[in-house]
Amino acid sequence: MTKGAPWLLAMSGITKRFPGVVALEDVSLELSGGEVLALMGENGAGKSTLMKILGGAEMPDQGRIDLDGNPVVLDSVREAHRLGIALIHQELMLAPNLDIAANIFLGNEAAVGSVGVLRRGALNLAAGALLARVGLARAPTTPVSTLTAGQMQMVEIAKALSKKARIIVMDEPTSSLTGAESEHLFRIIGQLKADGIGIIYISHRMDEVMKLADRITVLRDGRHVGTLDRDQVTSEKIVSMMVGRELKNEYFPPRAAKTPGPPVLEVHGLIVPGTARPVSFTAERGEILGFAGLVGSGRTELMETIFGVTPALSGSMTVAGKPYAPRRPRDAIDCGVYLAPEDRKRHGLVLPMTVAENISLPNIASYGPAGLLNREAERRAAEAEVTRLRTRTPSIFQRVVNLSGGNQQKVVLGKWLAMAPQVLILDEPTRGIDVGAKAEIYRHMAALADQGITILMVSSDMEEILGMSDRVVVMHERMLRGILAREGLTAEGIATLMTGRTGAAA
Amino acid sequence: MRRELGMFIALVAMCLLLFISNPDFLGASNALNTTRQISMLGIYAIGIGFVIISGGIDLSIGSVIGLTGVLIAKLSSSAPPGLGYPLWVGIPCALGVALLIGLGQGLLITRLKLQPFIVTLGGMLLVRGVSQTVAEGGTISFGDAPFLELANGGIWRVQGEPLLPYPVLIFLVVVGIGTFLLHSTVLGRYVYAIGGNREAARYSGIDVNRIETLTYVISAGLAGVAGVCYAAYIGQMSQQVGVAYELYAIAAAVLGGCSLRGGEGTVLGIVIGSAIMRVIDNGINMFQLQHRDEGGVPRIWRLDPNWTFIIIGAVILLAVILDQLVHMVNAARRTRRAAASAGGPRANSVDVAPDAKTS
Repeated sequence: MTKGAPWLLAMSGITKRFPGVVALEDVSLELSGGEVLALMGENGAGKSTLMKILGGAEMPDQGRIDLDGNPVVLDSVREAHRLGIALIHQELMLAPNLDIAANIFLGNEAAVGSVGVLRRGALNLAAGALLARVGLARAPTTPVSTLTAGQMQMVEIAKALSKKARIIVMDEPTSSLTGAESEHLFRIIGQLKADGIGIIYISHRMDEVMKLADRITVLRDGRHVGTLDRDQVTSEKIVSMMVGRELKNEYFPPRAAKTPGPPVLEVHGLIVPGTARPVSFTAERGEILGFAGLVGSGRTELMETIFGVTPALSGSMTVAGKPYAPRRPRDAIDCGVYLAPEDRKRHGLVLPMTVAENISLPNIASYGPAGLLNREAERRAAEAEVTRLRTRTPSIFQRVVNLSGGNQQKVVLGKWLAMAPQVLILDEPTRGIDVGAKAEIYRHMAALADQGITILMVSSDMEEILGMSDRVVVMHERMLRGILAREGLTAEGIATLMTGRTGAAA
Repeated sequence: MRRELGMFIALVAMCLLLFISNPDFLGASNALNTTRQISMLGIYAIGIGFVIISGGIDLSIGSVIGLTGVLIAKLSSSAPPGLGYPLWVGIPCALGVALLIGLGQGLLITRLKLQPFIVTLGGMLLVRGVSQTVAEGGTISFGDAPFLELANGGIWRVQGEPLLPYPVLIFLVVVGIGTFLLHSTVLGRYVYAIGGNREAARYSGIDVNRIETLTYVISAGLAGVAGVCYAAYIGQMSQQVGVAYELYAIAAAVLGGCSLRGGEGTVLGIVIGSAIMRVIDNGINMFQLQHRDEGGVPRIWRLDPNWTFIIIGAVILLAVILDQLVHMVNAARRTRRAAASAGGPRANSVDVAPDAKTS
């Protein structure tokens, strides 16, 4: 970037808050014409919020956005379009019942002179020219529902071009493409660059990023971690920036080296729906077994199968030596296997209900006789868990929706701790939780493990994996790549397995 | 409870206004009849309340009310085309059919994952058609069978008028059982949890399908009970009875604080909502203003009965608009709180909403 010439796009000091969480804090991002900027970060790092702001769907609480050095206010999607910003979502936003030309010019029919009445001839002609530019050899009158995912992607790009987009954001564009379709996409991206269009490319696939990006911006926990030229970085370096690497030991409770205990959960040749490779591992009594891997590596799916949400296709499990084959969450709960899910608000909590009602939910039937509510027992159990976890809430009758993220997570934990777990699955236990509450949750996890509870901890936070795990299972592309012992555990060793390279496994 | 209190105050104010404008509003015959109307609406509004609180909708209950009555008439009326079976055969058969309709719809919704709106819309039309077929497109009269006593009779007669008509008695029993089920049993708690977050309920080990199916059975069953009352009240059944009643029930539930998003509402609120619906209905006939025209002649001004639907519609819209405004103000307050608590340096920020006491 030559000095003096303004950036095509400069976002600076962007801060955005939602109830209970800070989604973005003082984030900056710059893009020049004709370059590909890769935007990386784990789920919840703030990428999609940042892109929603760029697309005009959300307004930032603080910060400024400049185009060609001039400040702009992106207060609507329409305004973003007018300024030449186009977003291509991971879930494509095409109307499958309409044809290609109608989709390209949807909402923008006036661009070819259709006012009120569609000029189909002009639409098709203009669409044809755009399709040639993106190399899609289909007639403009083809219904979109008959296209492949890769072809739909090209229609999306053609649509962006029809609006004279100068900035195109692509969110995980290859997630549903075949290898050949991805190659085609990369060629088109090359052409767009040559035309001077700036591209923000969001992806979790390291090889693509290393191949396409000119520069890479990494976000973590809503903050800007760094922006690097591609030549300066290795994929391991990016992973460690994404997941956080500097170890802060005082942060994690000291844990004595664990002596091997009896196996509590044994998994043999488990086939999770949607995967081909069987998974086997054993978790011991009082052990914290970490599960490391990138987004999409299949960790959450594995946990949901162990919890009975999506029953296994084959394979076997035992809990405390007894056969265990959950077909639904109730079966798992009856065996003392509990899940604190990744998406707390969707799967973990009934937000409009109170703290007490949420804590008692899985267990309420056992409190009273014959299907009656026993509010006294419910209150006692809720008080006990709120006290044990030091949940900050005005009372146990507060609605969960009013609590902060950390305290919501404590409610989820409390609901299971009230039921004496054997195996506790914690999927991203500290995501979206601020530092103070994180340290508390780590202390509780250590205490629970010391009491003999087996914890399976899925985490995308390398610090957390290194700081809490007794052993680490590493997954990549829905396969178990290795199980590492605590001794000699390094971020590099885990990152190598996470990015799919074998050989360094301990 | 705030919503219930607000609606109760509105109800009392409405009654007072009507009483002042026309003392006959609380006269024995009008008060008794309005109470009976409130009760019959309340019975099936509580039923649909279970469905709405669990996050579903049931459009078929008006048709179920009609079919129950038509079946009783067909089976037990002694006048042709009635078959003349005793009532202890006719009523249980009709109620059994109502429960089966609810079970069938519930299973379609939960097992085949069909949308409640479309399943119960289909059910509404189909059941209506069955009524028409059973009644052969006409009317079946009960004559002056003792069955009619069910609606017009009651206990504690004062000057020939029952102080507590049977429909009111049935309503009170339904209110009691409904309140108990929804607010004092595990089943009720599950209904709220499913309406509040279906997925979280499933992840907490609740058998979501079974509970949801049960809400449709309860809804259809109580529609059947209301159908028995209406049959006795009207004294003759055609396929026209019960048309659009489900909409009154939905309106009553929503007025009383149920949200069509699910997870919200109480039996008390539904009772108040039902009362408001019927008092408005009745008030449009009763409301009057006495005044003198230019010549000094006393005249009485009445509401044009053609305005009935305009007024009812406006009241429902006003209630949901107010409710939504409260929701939006609360959400904005939460966002402001979050912004305030996130204002300081993050490492030092306290992980709690500022209005929370750290005790």
